[in-house]
Amino acid sequence: MFNVLRKQASSRWWKLPAQPAVRHNSTAYVPPAAFQHVRRPPPPKEKPSSPTFYTSRASYYDQVISLEACISTAKQALKAENLYPLPDFARASIPPPQPFWKDQTSLMSLGSVKMTPSRYRRVISLLNQLDEYKRIAEVSGANELADNLTELLSEFENDNKAAILASSKRKPVQFDEYGRTYTSGKRKESSARVWVIPVQKPEESTDAAPKSEPLNLPASAPAISAFNHPQPVQVTPSNILINNIPLNKYFPIAKDRETVIRPLQLAGLFGAYNVFALVRGGGTTGQSGAIAVGLARGLAAHVPDVADILRKAKLLRRDPRMVERKKTNLRKARAAVSAIRTTLNLDADEIRRGPGSSGRIYYNIAFITQLIIILANCHENSLSPKAGPVPF
Amino acid sequence: MSALASVQRARQNVLMTSLPGSHGVGQKRLNSSKWRWVPPEWNKDPNKELKKKLKDSQLKGGSSPSLQAVPVGDGQGSNRPKVPPRFHTLPPVQLKHPLFQSENRPDLHLAPFQPDLVKPISLNKALQFESGHRTLLTAYGVPRNILHEFRILSKPCSLVREVTLSTTKWLDGAATQPSSAKRAVITGQLGSGKSYLLLQAVEYARKKGYLVLYIPRSLRLVDSSSAYVYDPRTRTYLQPEFSAELLKRFRDVNLQAFEELLTSEDVIISGRRMIPKGTTLAELVRNGTRQEVDAPVVLSALVKELQLQSKYPVVLAIDDFQSLYSQSKYRDARFNTLKAYHLSLPRLLLEFASGRQKFQSGAVLGALTTANSEFRVPLELQEALGLTPDVPSGPYIRRKPELVEYAKGLQNIALPSQMSIAEAAALYELWGKEKVLNDAPTDQTFLRLYTESAGNPRDFVWKGVMGSFST
Repeated sequence: MFNVLRKQASSRWWKLPAQPAVRHNSTAYVPPAAFQHVRRPPPPKEKPSSPTFYTSRASYYDQVISLEACISTAKQALKAENLYPLPDFARASIPPPQPFWKDQTSLMSLGSVKMTPSRYRRVISLLNQLDEYKRIAEVSGANELADNLTELLSEFENDNKAAILASSKRKPVQFDEYGRTYTSGKRKESSARVWVIPVQKPEESTDAAPKSEPLNLPASAPAISAFNHPQPVQVTPSNILINNIPLNKYFPIAKDRETVIRPLQLAGLFGAYNVFALVRGGGTTGQSGAIAVGLARGLAAHVPDVADILRKAKLLRRDPRMVERKKTNLRKARAAVSAIRTTLNLDADEIRRGPGSSGRIYYNIAFITQLIIILANCHENSLSPKAGPVPF
Repeated sequence: MSALASVQRARQNVLMTSLPGSHGVGQKRLNSSKWRWVPPEWNKDPNKELKKKLKDSQLKGGSSPSLQAVPVGDGQGSNRPKVPPRFHTLPPVQLKHPLFQSENRPDLHLAPFQPDLVKPISLNKALQFESGHRTLLTAYGVPRNILHEFRILSKPCSLVREVTLSTTKWLDGAATQPSSAKRAVITGQLGSGKSYLLLQAVEYARKKGYLVLYIPRSLRLVDSSSAYVYDPRTRTYLQPEFSAELLKRFRDVNLQAFEELLTSEDVIISGRRMIPKGTTLAELVRNGTRQEVDAPVVLSALVKELQLQSKYPVVLAIDDFQSLYSQSKYRDARFNTLKAYHLSLPRLLLEFASGRQKFQSGAVLGALTTANSEFRVPLELQEALGLTPDVPSGPYIRRKPELVEYAKGLQNIALPSQMSIAEAAALYELWGKEKVLNDAPTDQTFLRLYTESAGNPRDFVWKGVMGSFST
């Protein structure tokens, strides 16, 4: 862009020669009238504040230049702190980017320039670079730099950033009026909907067996007597119904049952919750895994303390493993067709015995000629009375 | 005799024996055991004659020195090919091999299953069945799944549940009411304990002094595993082999009563022989089972005598009850399928189960089975028992009138699908004492097994207690 200016500077068409192009050795008097036909230099122009004045998209380029200046400043600051360039192990500890920049139309309002996709892309790449420096600064404790960068970048951030972040987080599980949760889980091609209901604690028992009458102990008897048996604990079972069928009937295989039970076992919540699940799709492994995920999410909602245990056991996470697709020229997803040594024009026998060992009789002219001669000799011999049978 | 004549004779014999309408015995597919292996102490009171026969006819093939071969019944019978003897567990005392000598051999001390002990006080406790000479377990046998468990347990026992108490209470009324007023069928889901409850009821009845006729595997009546022959007099198919075995076992279990009761009529058997009236029922059975062809006649005569007497209540217990209402696997001469009521013994049982015939005091108790999917519970029986039909049951589905008639008036003893926590805990302790638990016996493990099996007794034991290795 400056080259254009330089070129024009070189022509100097407006520059008045000090004198007419006449060679002379002495200073002669030139009357003012002689200058009338000579063009005057234009009045000195004001230097433009920004070199981008002469561009067609000044405000855009201003933005870009300022961002690039910020980048170089931040880079220098990080270099001064020995934070740039980062080694690989340190780079892995930086949090991942979460960019929520303004969209194309919003950025356009910052400058009055039409924000085409390529320009937008360029601006965004610069912003991402700055964001990376900001994250490095945040993680490494260069708070001043981080704050400055945050302030700078906040101009370019989407107004709905908070809303978008909130929407991307999983919604908290809702409890209905009976204290039940409704969660879902997926595994392979199966999806499960799981309702986790707290078991109602049994009321104060009215036992069938009559309670033993209290013994009339003397006043000096100890408070805890050997005859005061502790009341047995009322144990309630966890009932699990899947598609309205009990667990033992729906999953006859032990492995699948144990998969379904695993969240309850790890959390130690047997007898505390009843489970009702509707599951669809896939096979036994997929369905049992889907129910386990849904059940784990429900238990984590009921008892937040066990969420850590279940997360460590990867039960809160949808298992991302799916069946891999078959590829062309392979037998299955990974299994290749078995390699056969390619040989040209060999049949099965030749492959077995080696080339050139075919059982076929190759006729050639020389052989046929010899055959004819032999046959002719035989015929002659046979005509003579002395000749016997010729073995052939 | 010329060769041709001998061939013709042989062919005639084959034809005669193969047709069901013939007077000979039809082809049989499986043989019931002639011999029974018992440990010596069970055979406490063997006949001297039998002992002598024992010495003469030791089976080859390495009989264990701790077991004796005792011929079934009186030792006589047709020339049947030898079959492997029935398996009985050895008591721990006889396990002399060092492999079994460990200090941790389980030694269960269980109370016996007696009527005075089957009370609320022994709820959720294991009581031991009597096993010995001429007891219910050895004489009649038990259903297959129970047999498997008894092989693993050191003592044959079962748990007393709420349903046991209610069923035994129901049986108490059998002493004063005719059997037509006491007809019930035990129903429940797969593995909920129907056969066990029936076994408990039968043992209870026997200990109370009732006469007990127990058929633990009545599917064997209709799965064409025993010989059958058409009888034009009754127009049913007789099963002589099965009838003979049943008679002997009936006599073995109720020997005392059989030696007391006398016949009131002459009984005519084959070969123009007659068993005069006034003989004891034990003698009747002995004479009637000398030849298998006489067994069905003697059985029907015996049942008639038991109907006439009123001293002893008679309990008729049939496991796999739905076999009586199903199609059998037998075929007639034209290859048509025979129904169960075409066979004489199932017909007899059906007559009592429907109340058309009755004992003066007694009961008829059956238990459905879910073991064999070839013999499912028919719609007529399901509707009579008030079960939710699992087959099409709309108004356009035909119900066989004979089955509806035979199923009329049957009560339903419905078992819960889930056993209670207390019952499960008792089972867990019992199997824990048997040292079959793979995991440490903690509350967590117990609840896990209970939840996995959804309270189903069979799943709890077989897939839970004996199955899992996880902790």
